[in-house]
Amino acid sequence: MSGRGQVSFRNIARTYGNFAALKGVDFDIREGEFFALLGPSGSGKSTTLRILAGLDAPTAGQVLIDGQDVTAVDARDRDIAMVFQSYALYPHMTVAQNIAFPLEMSGHSKAEIGPAVHDAARKVKIEHLLDRKPGQLSGGQQQRVALARAIVRKAKLFLLDEPLSNLDAKLRLETRAELKKLQRALGVTAVYVTHDQEEAMTLADRMAVFMGGEIQQIGTPAEVFAKPNSIDIAGFIGNPPMNLIPARYVDGDVTIGGHRLKTDSTLTGERDVVVGLRPGALRAASDGVPARVDLIEDLGDTAILDLDCAGTLLRMRVSDIEIPNEGDTIKVTARPQDVHLFDPATKARL
Amino acid sequence: MTTTDIASAPVGGGYDRLLARRERRFASALLAPAFVALTATTTFPLLYLVWTSAHRVDLAMPFTNGYVGLENYAVLLADDRFWSSLLVSLVYTGSTVVLQVVIGLALALLVMDMKRGQGWFRLIAILPVVLSPAVVGMIWRTFMLAPEFGIIDFLAINAGLGSQNWLGEPKLAMLSVIAIHTWQWTPFAFMVLLASLASLPDDIYEAARLDRASAWQRFYRITLPLLRPAIVMVIIMRTMVALTAFAAIFTVTAGGPGTATEILNLYAYRKSFTELSFGYGSALAVALLIVTVLISGVLFALRRAK
Repeated sequence: MSGRGQVSFRNIARTYGNFAALKGVDFDIREGEFFALLGPSGSGKSTTLRILAGLDAPTAGQVLIDGQDVTAVDARDRDIAMVFQSYALYPHMTVAQNIAFPLEMSGHSKAEIGPAVHDAARKVKIEHLLDRKPGQLSGGQQQRVALARAIVRKAKLFLLDEPLSNLDAKLRLETRAELKKLQRALGVTAVYVTHDQEEAMTLADRMAVFMGGEIQQIGTPAEVFAKPNSIDIAGFIGNPPMNLIPARYVDGDVTIGGHRLKTDSTLTGERDVVVGLRPGALRAASDGVPARVDLIEDLGDTAILDLDCAGTLLRMRVSDIEIPNEGDTIKVTARPQDVHLFDPATKARL
Repeated sequence: MTTTDIASAPVGGGYDRLLARRERRFASALLAPAFVALTATTTFPLLYLVWTSAHRVDLAMPFTNGYVGLENYAVLLADDRFWSSLLVSLVYTGSTVVLQVVIGLALALLVMDMKRGQGWFRLIAILPVVLSPAVVGMIWRTFMLAPEFGIIDFLAINAGLGSQNWLGEPKLAMLSVIAIHTWQWTPFAFMVLLASLASLPDDIYEAARLDRASAWQRFYRITLPLLRPAIVMVIIMRTMVALTAFAAIFTVTAGGPGTATEILNLYAYRKSFTELSFGYGSALAVALLIVTVLISGVLFALRRAK
């Protein structure tokens, strides 16, 4: 079983007419890894998944699965299972027939198929629905059928295209946790497309962040969160995202609204920068920058404050015991290691 | 009036019933003219046909006219020409419907995969349908099947088959009328099945590819079952029309040679309007009606089954 489910993308590009959906992406997925492709819509993440599945062909580049070049191999022969965003269940077949379909197609006997279908259905808790048709199921149930159909055949790779996006919020959280457990239990390599950074952060072992047809950063969710390597990623990851403020940098300090803030940067000299501050990294301090509380969004256990700091909007996350009143002026600061610096011209991390 | 109605209506739930009753009354009033017109133009002639079939109405020998009960039907059951025309009708209907569905489906599958020119193909394909069957019959008799000069005969000669008497030889005449009907009406099946094909979601085909289904398996296990309602509908509609076909055969062979292409409809026409025996002609028409109703009943039952 060694080397099952390793993926390598070598400079994959895909153009549709004049539109470049992918501008040359490279990444490697390790065996047994839960790998997320994260990005806003139109960033190329779904195209990447479809190229990996063999449903779409790249304009240039190579796809390798377990070291073999599969760029020209048909989807049928790649040994890949996929859960579609729309679930793509066969509407004329019962749940049991849907789950059995991939096994029938790969020539398993009836005696093998029956138990395998029940086993897969049990893993996603839909044993009681086996005789129904997809049209008689709720969205959440259909999603489980799609999952069961994907796991029934022990495929090399398990692809998921925004599988939770059509579920309601509560069900999404439950299914998210189950999905992670299921993937661990099966030990299969999973590639997961999502535009929801929270899903990627909670599920993925590593993730690739897509922007405008390119991968901007690959790393563990913690790495990407802690050290976003561009302004675009800083503004995309985190909820609410990082505050990005144009400022002047002089020998390790930045000046915001006339106040100095220490950074842990060792750059010398003077230059324009964009300062990134996570809302959760801001804290009240008597020697901080004064800011007026414009608006309070109370989330129960925490609150998001919209602060007006000398004309610049800052968002700050506070716990429920520290909530000030709207109109109050508070003083805020951040630890030097929480101050991110970006180049305003190249958008890259400094 | 509205206020008094509502004021006098019973309390609690009564309004619902009152409004429903008023709506029903209004709906009936709107439907009445169409209902009367339909009854006058369809139901009444039908009943009159049944009535006539129980009479002897012979314009050649009017002195024998009168009520005869089921005598026309007794004659019909013993009439070899009735049985042969019924057989011709069934062969004609069965073969044209099967050909239309098979060719229509094949064309629809091909055109679905066309990247360009689909619109033009549809436009050209629909042309035969809009032609009058009588015109189609004339075109085939003259341009297509005429010995030596017709396109089909010309092709047959060039293919080494020699000139054939397409409409004069019984078997070839039957083949010809089947081909003509199929030529004219396959576009209908094609259009319906193409529309139905276009409505099938792409993603289930992608799922099937990843599930390792071959092209044939995708067709047989997914496309065909999903097209089933449309196919059954085409079969029902085309069967009913083929059973009562008339104009194309009438203009091409007029049922000949002999009775080789005489479908039941044509026989009823000949009896009524050539031999002027309206009573017996009506009995034949009623027999055709019964056959049509029985066959469509069976087809509708099949449609409901699963």
